[in-house]
Amino acid sequence: MTAEGATTYPGIDEVHPDLLKATRLGMVIDQQKCIGCWTCSVACKEENDVGIGLYWLRVLTVGGDNIDVPSGTFPDLALEYQSTNCFHCDNPPCVKACPVSATYKMPNGIVTVNWDRCIGCRYCMVACPYDNRVFNWRKPVQDPPASLVEVGNVPPRPKGVVEKCTFCEHRVAKGLEPRCVVACPVGARVFGDLDDPNSEVSTLLRERPSYVVFPEKGTKPSVHYLMRFSPNVAGGES
Amino acid sequence: MSAASAEHVGARRAGTSRGLAAWLIVLVAVLAAGVGVWIYQYIRGLQITHMRDNVIWGLYIITFMYLVGLSAGGLIVASSGRLFGVERFKPIVRLAVLEATVAIAMAAVMILPDLGRVDRVLNLFIHPHFLSPMIWDVTVILIYLVLSLTYVWLYTRRDLAARGSWLALGTRDTSEAARARDERTTYRLAWVALPAAVLVHSITAWIFGLQISRGFWYSSIMPPLFVTSALVSGLALVIILALVVRRFERISFDNGLVSYLGGMLAVFVAVEGFLVFCEVLAGYYPGVTTDASRQLFTGRYGPGFLGVEVTAGLIVPFILMAFASLRRRPAIVALASVLALIGIYAHRGNLIVIGLGKAPIQLAPGTPLGTPQASGSDFAMSSVYFPSGYEIVIVAGMFALAALLFTIGVWVLPLKEKGHGAGGLSG
Repeated sequence: MTAEGATTYPGIDEVHPDLLKATRLGMVIDQQKCIGCWTCSVACKEENDVGIGLYWLRVLTVGGDNIDVPSGTFPDLALEYQSTNCFHCDNPPCVKACPVSATYKMPNGIVTVNWDRCIGCRYCMVACPYDNRVFNWRKPVQDPPASLVEVGNVPPRPKGVVEKCTFCEHRVAKGLEPRCVVACPVGARVFGDLDDPNSEVSTLLRERPSYVVFPEKGTKPSVHYLMRFSPNVAGGES
Repeated sequence: MSAASAEHVGARRAGTSRGLAAWLIVLVAVLAAGVGVWIYQYIRGLQITHMRDNVIWGLYIITFMYLVGLSAGGLIVASSGRLFGVERFKPIVRLAVLEATVAIAMAAVMILPDLGRVDRVLNLFIHPHFLSPMIWDVTVILIYLVLSLTYVWLYTRRDLAARGSWLALGTRDTSEAARARDERTTYRLAWVALPAAVLVHSITAWIFGLQISRGFWYSSIMPPLFVTSALVSGLALVIILALVVRRFERISFDNGLVSYLGGMLAVFVAVEGFLVFCEVLAGYYPGVTTDASRQLFTGRYGPGFLGVEVTAGLIVPFILMAFASLRRRPAIVALASVLALIGIYAHRGNLIVIGLGKAPIQLAPGTPLGTPQASGSDFAMSSVYFPSGYEIVIVAGMFALAALLFTIGVWVLPLKEKGHGAGGLSG
């Protein structure tokens, strides 16, 4: 199963040579399609060996005060989901903040963390306006243990360093899409090069109204949300 | 110092040596406890603190800011006295410089227990990223530490040489001419030290104030607010230390100076109160109900802000120090100083816990916390932070080390000026 350092999923995974030439990788998440099932989050944990209590990807409820609770009063209810991982911003405040350049932007637009250099000061987490970064407060614990599940080739993290979504850079390096994209049962996640006008992500952003989270912060996120056809109030700062 | 008073000190010394020994034993014990817990934290990871992915920073960073402020405040008071010829400061200038030096050294140490990978701290020098305010701070703190140590040495080396102490570091000339030269050098150094002290706390403020991610911090008022709070806390600590050290006759000054410093404290506290008011009003006035400034008045953090920071830390000290009759009593000045010190510590704490307490994206279930929670949910929309016992012991250990260094400094260094008149300011 393991091919060239990344587990592939036959019948689902295919190599996209375009990803290897990308200069600004980004993601488009379709709010019309997302059903809030958290499969992306679970697949992410499995692929990247993310420890118990840590999440690189979480599915936020756009609705009431609690998870899966709609806003409004019956029968006028509204509910949608905002599946949220690192936005790999074009103007990433975390990269500016890091005192040792342990977090940096790759030429393909991915913002990643060198956890062999990170000193664990957590300034990047303070700088992130989205709380999309997590810290290893202890030696990460996998349950079930990593040895029992089929996983990607992501090196284990020591305690005391920051980690976050890498757009599965180990898969992208092989021309494969991030695991959350292939795992999504409804195809809500689309991955590609935002700099390429002919990519699927660019086409979708041209054709459908979309939003990013906190545009006023000027971070220029590379993860865009396609609005529902009858949109609820979404994503607002509150 | 007259021969008579020297004998007196000798007699007192015998009497206080037992007290001093007990004091040192207590400090060493607290320091040992702090170091022990720190080793435990290194083994277990930062999970033993109450910081998590929502409240990312806690007591360590709060105390770090506090120590930088204490240092900057102490040095600003000392060097502005030197620069603007406030002759009456002379008896306490050496003490203030010693306080500033110990505080900045401890601020540098205080960062270390907060690091997840303290073993990689040298990466700050191997791989510095100069866009990061954290690197600006590391740089300015180290420069400032060297400056402070130079200051202490310049102020005390002639007297150390006169005693034959090796701490004079090669200085032998104890003539009046040499002392006059040092006077001029310290005067010139004050021109560097004063802006450096302002800068060291401004840059610490920018660690917070330049982050657009946190609405409560992202404000241009942060550096002036930090510098003012540094003046309040630094002056308050210098007042208390001066009164304590005077009791042990390591320095001498009259109560007129205490009353003068009390008046200065009232001015600094008033400016601090004004800046805090400006900041809160700007946050409150637009009527955004979710603005962090609303948390200052109600709920979990109300008592910490209105009660401790504003009432105990600003209003009461200001009222006490506004009246000349109260300022003339050193005990009242000391009380106002202690309250101001507590108030500024609360200010640092409020800044961190309110700035970080709420998940920036207010959508359920919120921010992942980073460790499994007893409540069953790994996420939180908002959370309250209070340090764990481990954090408190580590910080207490750091304060004990600071007190230890200061005590040694007081006992080893000649803190009394040799009293040669106003000519010193001719530089």
